Amino acid sequence: MQVLKGRRQPSPEIRSMLEAMVDMVPQGRVPVRIFNDPEVFELEQERVFGRCWVFLAHESEIPSPGDYLLRYIANNSIIVVRHEEGQVRAHLNMCRHRGNQVCKAEMGNASHFRCSYHGWTYKNTGELIGVPYWNEIYHKRLDKSQWGLVPVRVESYQGLIFGNLDPEAPSLEEYLGGFQWYLDFYLRPGPNGTEVYGTPDKWVADTDWKICAENFAGDGYHTPVAHAFGFELGYFPSSARTHFEGVAVHIPGKGHAIGLGRTPGMPPFFGFPAEVVEAMHQTLTPEQVQVFSQVRTAVCTVFPNLSILLQPFSRIPGQPGVRFVTMRLWHPIGPGRIQMWSWCIVPRDAPQWYKDESYLAYTLAFGAAGMFEQDDFENWTNLTRQVKSTLARDLVFPYEIGLDLEPDPTFPRPGVAVPPYVHETNFRNLWTTWARYMLRD
Amino acid sequence: MALDPTLKAEIEEFLLHEAELLDERRFEEWIELFAEDARYEAPMRVTRARDAGPDIVEESKIFSDNRETLYIRVQRLGTEFAWAEDPPSRTRHFITNIRVQPTDKENEFRVRCNLLVYRNRGDAPSYDLLSADRQDILRRVDGGWKIAYRRIVLDQSTVGSHNLSIFL
Repeated sequence: MQVLKGRRQPSPEIRSMLEAMVDMVPQGRVPVRIFNDPEVFELEQERVFGRCWVFLAHESEIPSPGDYLLRYIANNSIIVVRHEEGQVRAHLNMCRHRGNQVCKAEMGNASHFRCSYHGWTYKNTGELIGVPYWNEIYHKRLDKSQWGLVPVRVESYQGLIFGNLDPEAPSLEEYLGGFQWYLDFYLRPGPNGTEVYGTPDKWVADTDWKICAENFAGDGYHTPVAHAFGFELGYFPSSARTHFEGVAVHIPGKGHAIGLGRTPGMPPFFGFPAEVVEAMHQTLTPEQVQVFSQVRTAVCTVFPNLSILLQPFSRIPGQPGVRFVTMRLWHPIGPGRIQMWSWCIVPRDAPQWYKDESYLAYTLAFGAAGMFEQDDFENWTNLTRQVKSTLARDLVFPYEIGLDLEPDPTFPRPGVAVPPYVHETNFRNLWTTWARYMLRD
Repeated sequence: MALDPTLKAEIEEFLLHEAELLDERRFEEWIELFAEDARYEAPMRVTRARDAGPDIVEESKIFSDNRETLYIRVQRLGTEFAWAEDPPSRTRHFITNIRVQPTDKENEFRVRCNLLVYRNRGDAPSYDLLSADRQDILRRVDGGWKIAYRRIVLDQSTVGSHNLSIFL
């Protein structure tokens, strides 16, 4: 079923800005205007979020048949459900009769959804099974098979379920385009992968999803300043002096990007418990072990708006601590406004004490009240307010860091790996990719 | 057992004093009101169908602090780099519907209140309102009171604030 047609056309002004970006971004210039603009927002709802694989849920959030969640792609409310045979499906949360929301809870378990307006009833597979007075007033003429819930394509990688509104879109595998190799560091810490710890933090903020997505695509540059308190209180295993060491990798044309920060002298797989280190040696390839064992911080964005951070952290500064992994979705709900979902994911095979400690580290550092999270949102909300001004909107930002850097030809795997950790190569690829999506009719 | 009315008045006075310390940003004094073994927690809310069980997820917490990490949060606010609170939020803690119940321990009382926190930042006229069911265990120590446990259950499943760099 055709769900999306590219209806909206950019104004001449926005089109010329986007066309200019294709040449301008690789040379280190990005228009300020893209970061908070009503027309850009409306256009990207269709041209970016209507075409990309957008993260919906982690499989461990819906472990049993009938388990469901409400999530979003663009402004579409989507029911993600595991049906009786165990497969995950997704449907638009809208009754086909008059458009009412058929599911009002954000999570639960149900074999069917019944609309509270006129009573149309759907199985959790989306099939329309009940229409009140089907005999008496429809005279059995309504073809129920034509009026099921609108299905949305879903595919998954290592427990992450993505949805796509575009029936023509390439497979998730092709879309990720080799980025899986890096995602494995987060998602394959053992034979049984990962699980979410509890339910995600949710909050709203007046910032643009692109600010957040860029930051997690490897902005090691902000850390020593934006999170300076962390250095002050002794939180970081790296010092500000060595902080920039490591490598940044991107997948050309796909937008996905990761920053891998390294600390000289850090023991391999520092902060992971022995059980998880052993399990990683089973699941990861020798090349992956070689690269990831040296990584302190792994921070990535899966284009467009899913980001993941893996970081060693001790709640009390100076203690050995653990690793925590947070996965976050920067869901746009308006120009310069997002709803956040923020999960903590843990290795399924890890001992319970480690999962608990990892979650506590996440909560203190990156939950809604997390000490690091707080300062990011302070900066991002203020920035978002500034960039929409009449003077600001005609300016450009410099994206010059690393223009003269060369990729590391010895780096073992997919994408373009450019040392060190701190530069803007990933971001230039991110915004060129975004501009290409925005230009496609 | 009916509670001694002077006890309830004393506890109310303590809570109002604590709110004043928070609103005046006297965090170094505020942290002293917590017992050494104190816990400070805020479980998450979710939206479930009416008959589908509790809407509080106990294992998921917005705050999950002990006295030591709570003090680190206070120390953080004392550095020059706590950008989230520079310039500081203007907060006003409104505390009503105070209920006091005895516990198994003679010197500890279960104290529940309705909490409304107004928060405003910078020159924006807009503000955040955070409403919560706050459940404390207060302990009488050396003629004064300490907070032995605090649980804040926000009345939102999506927190309507860009961060929680304030205390509740």
